[in-house]
Amino acid sequence: MKIKKNFNGLDFLQNNLVPLMFIIICAICIPLSGFSPSYLLNEIVTRMGRNIFLILSLLIPIMAGMGLNFGMTLGAMAGQVALIFVTDWQIWGIPGVVLAMILSVPLSALLGLMCGKLMNMAKGREMILGYMMNYFVTGLYQLLVLYFMGSIIPIKHASIRLPRGYGIRTTVSLANMRQCLDNEFAILYKGVKIPVLNFVIIAALCLFIVWFRRTKLGQDMRAVGQDMEVAQAAGINVDRTRIISIIISTVFAGFGQIIYLQNIGNFPTYTAHSQIGMFCIAALLVGGASVEKASIGNVFLGVILFHTMFIVAPRAGVAITGDAMIGEYFRVFVSYGVITLALIMYEIKKRRARSQGGELLARAQREGGVQS
Amino acid sequence: MRGKTLLIRLAALAVVVAVAAAMMVIGRGHTLYFDNKTIENYQGQEYKSFERVVVTVKGEEVAKLGKRERGMATWMGQSFKMTLEITENKGDEPRTEEISMKLPYSVDGIVINLPAYLAGLPEDAWFSEFVPQVETEPADDEPLPGEGGEFGLEGDMGLESDMGLESDMGLESDMGLEGDLGA
Amino acid sequence: MSKSERLRQTQFGQLVNAFGLPRLIITGFLIFLFIMAPITGSDLSTQITNVINRFSWNAVLVLAMVPMIHSGCGLNFGIPLGILAGLLGGTLAIEMGFTGPMSFLMAIVVSTPFAILFGGGYGALLNKIKGGEMMVATYVGFSSVSFMCIMWLLIPYKNPSIVMAYTGVGLRNMFALDSFYAGVLSKFLEIDLNPLGINLVVPTGSILFFALLALLVWAFLHTKTGTAMTAVGSNPIFARASGIDVDRIRILSVILSTWLGAVGVLVYQQGFGFVQLYTAPQNMTMPAVAAVLIGGASVNKASISNVIIGTFLFQGLVTMTPTVITALIHTDVSEVIRIIVSNGMVIYALTRKTEGAK
Repeated sequence: MKIKKNFNGLDFLQNNLVPLMFIIICAICIPLSGFSPSYLLNEIVTRMGRNIFLILSLLIPIMAGMGLNFGMTLGAMAGQVALIFVTDWQIWGIPGVVLAMILSVPLSALLGLMCGKLMNMAKGREMILGYMMNYFVTGLYQLLVLYFMGSIIPIKHASIRLPRGYGIRTTVSLANMRQCLDNEFAILYKGVKIPVLNFVIIAALCLFIVWFRRTKLGQDMRAVGQDMEVAQAAGINVDRTRIISIIISTVFAGFGQIIYLQNIGNFPTYTAHSQIGMFCIAALLVGGASVEKASIGNVFLGVILFHTMFIVAPRAGVAITGDAMIGEYFRVFVSYGVITLALIMYEIKKRRARSQGGELLARAQREGGVQS
Repeated sequence: MRGKTLLIRLAALAVVVAVAAAMMVIGRGHTLYFDNKTIENYQGQEYKSFERVVVTVKGEEVAKLGKRERGMATWMGQSFKMTLEITENKGDEPRTEEISMKLPYSVDGIVINLPAYLAGLPEDAWFSEFVPQVETEPADDEPLPGEGGEFGLEGDMGLESDMGLESDMGLESDMGLEGDLGA
Repeated sequence: MSKSERLRQTQFGQLVNAFGLPRLIITGFLIFLFIMAPITGSDLSTQITNVINRFSWNAVLVLAMVPMIHSGCGLNFGIPLGILAGLLGGTLAIEMGFTGPMSFLMAIVVSTPFAILFGGGYGALLNKIKGGEMMVATYVGFSSVSFMCIMWLLIPYKNPSIVMAYTGVGLRNMFALDSFYAGVLSKFLEIDLNPLGINLVVPTGSILFFALLALLVWAFLHTKTGTAMTAVGSNPIFARASGIDVDRIRILSVILSTWLGAVGVLVYQQGFGFVQLYTAPQNMTMPAVAAVLIGGASVNKASISNVIIGTFLFQGLVTMTPTVITALIHTDVSEVIRIIVSNGMVIYALTRKTEGAK
């Protein structure tokens, strides 16, 4: 009852502006693109299977009040390093995926620890720091993959090494584990392939997140997310809690990248991770999440809407303008635009809340002064 | 309490390491090549190739070999099983043989000479390692980071430059789908 | 511990504090490179020429960081906006048929209204999100660059030397400026010692132009408005209390930064000799940000000397490492070093405690 009374059309519009905008864009572009419904559905289901895990990894830092974890790319890089090793050792199929995940954990945990420590040194600037960490760690990644692998770290197979003898080739083929998760227990229904195992894994992660929220650590994280000072006063080790949230996110991002790449079947060694953070964050925001609040529902809605736009935009662009590049640029513009919009709305809201808090304080002080 | 948590953690770590080790064993992939080729002179004896061999691995017919032909199969793990349907000479009734063998962990490509193997010869007669030719020419068309772009600055600064158009989620998937539906 | 030892230690500590450890390391590394250059067999004067040239191309872009840092808007990750204004100015000037030095002048003139427009809007936006400028700026830069990618295809440019060769629709990815403003500054009063047998070329004009702009910015920062800007940056509450219109000053600083970005990219182009469109503006942000930080600026403090030192150090590093390090270890790790140094520098700046911020 109460909800109905408080329902306000304008508020609803404001809070769901981005998803609504995307629904409209998709509604316009789908007929223009001329794709058959079964093709479109198949594409979306495949993409859900491979992307949702990555996007779910963003949820926990948001809970801890650290904003969108642009540093998830660090986990992706750890996942790629693990995949390179697994490819070189010729471990195939699902065992290969499992092994890669296990191997990625120490590396992504270490990177997450580093990222978390630095973020604690730059409170209030976590996002830009995480964003810069991408590029910094990309440098380290290149150093490792391009110079150390094959020279210091043994790489056995010449097929993945550069002809010069060290460094990894620009593309690593995952032919032997390609879609091994997707195809296991897959159901083909009216031309739509449903990667059941992927969804089982995703469901497990969702359950983990739901469960985690209720644990002591999860409660602490939410407290830290609401107000660091209050949490500190309540005896929570704020810094440690924040670091743990980033480590969890980074490790899951590593898993997510492995799931993502096994679906694709190969990856460009030096660029595969570079856009992943941007896409995942954009998809999450499209689903109606904000910098301080995101739910599992946002993830699912976001993936569906964002990827529908991604699939149909180039063809729709051709239909409208006759130029394929415009559609390509358009979808990039929209992804960036959505993130920009979400960040702006978040900052405005934060500022408004802060000034309201200030006013309240000032009024309280004034009244207190009058009384005494 | 403290000792107990430590113990639990160590146990968890041990489990994870054990799983990883198990994965390394059961997931090790091998490519097998079957030769139906006459061995001319092994210790003075000749082992003639069969008229026809049908190789079935995991219920799937992977090769139908005539004389002097080679077939291929992939296998994960080290205990390899296959079913051979052998027609020794023209017009013979084919006989079926179940074969299981241990594969060496460290070898990627294994060539098995079927006539020699079935004659029960020692390993060096039928086993050889397949060494793929290493591509010497630079097969990569994409430039490595740091190559191209004078002084490096005009290249991609921190790899932002490709705004996700090549490596994005849209392009590769198309190839993937056809393959699956066909299979 | 003896007294003199302790004294020396504190002196060293002070030096580190004043100069910043990363800057000290980078300076040391650059000196090492300069020493190693002749030893590894590369011509020192060629190296110096390269460094000076690249300094002259980039210095104005780095200068564009200063006004916004001064007014407390943080590092200008939104500099692509200024660069886009410059690109619009340059392409439109060429489209109008100007050539030679005149095209450079017109490019600046045409880009100015765009810079004011973009900068004004951008500044107004940043005023609404005080405290979160940098992240938003980054994404404003990205979205405007990708938006302009569409516009470069849609704006009906006609000049055959800049539109795509086949279709005649949309601008090229990259085009040469030979008949337009390539070298208009760098060739002015150029000092060329090649006749004397020394491969040293100094682009005097570009350096003078930078000096002029730097002087103007310096002078501006010492006017009444300029000091107000510094006040806003260092203590906005105090500034408001003393009757300064904080929002107006901040917008002014953003416009100034954006305009300097526009001019900066034109100077860069005249030195480089080419115009790069589409996604290229994005790649110019990090070098500029990293340079000013290496020069000793922090998230809320920057001076002209930071710009000069920083550009020199950063460009020196970028230019010298490929030749010298490659000669030393026979592996070209310069790209990786550059990525690690420049981004590490930004991370260092972000994690330092800043007094007076917020």
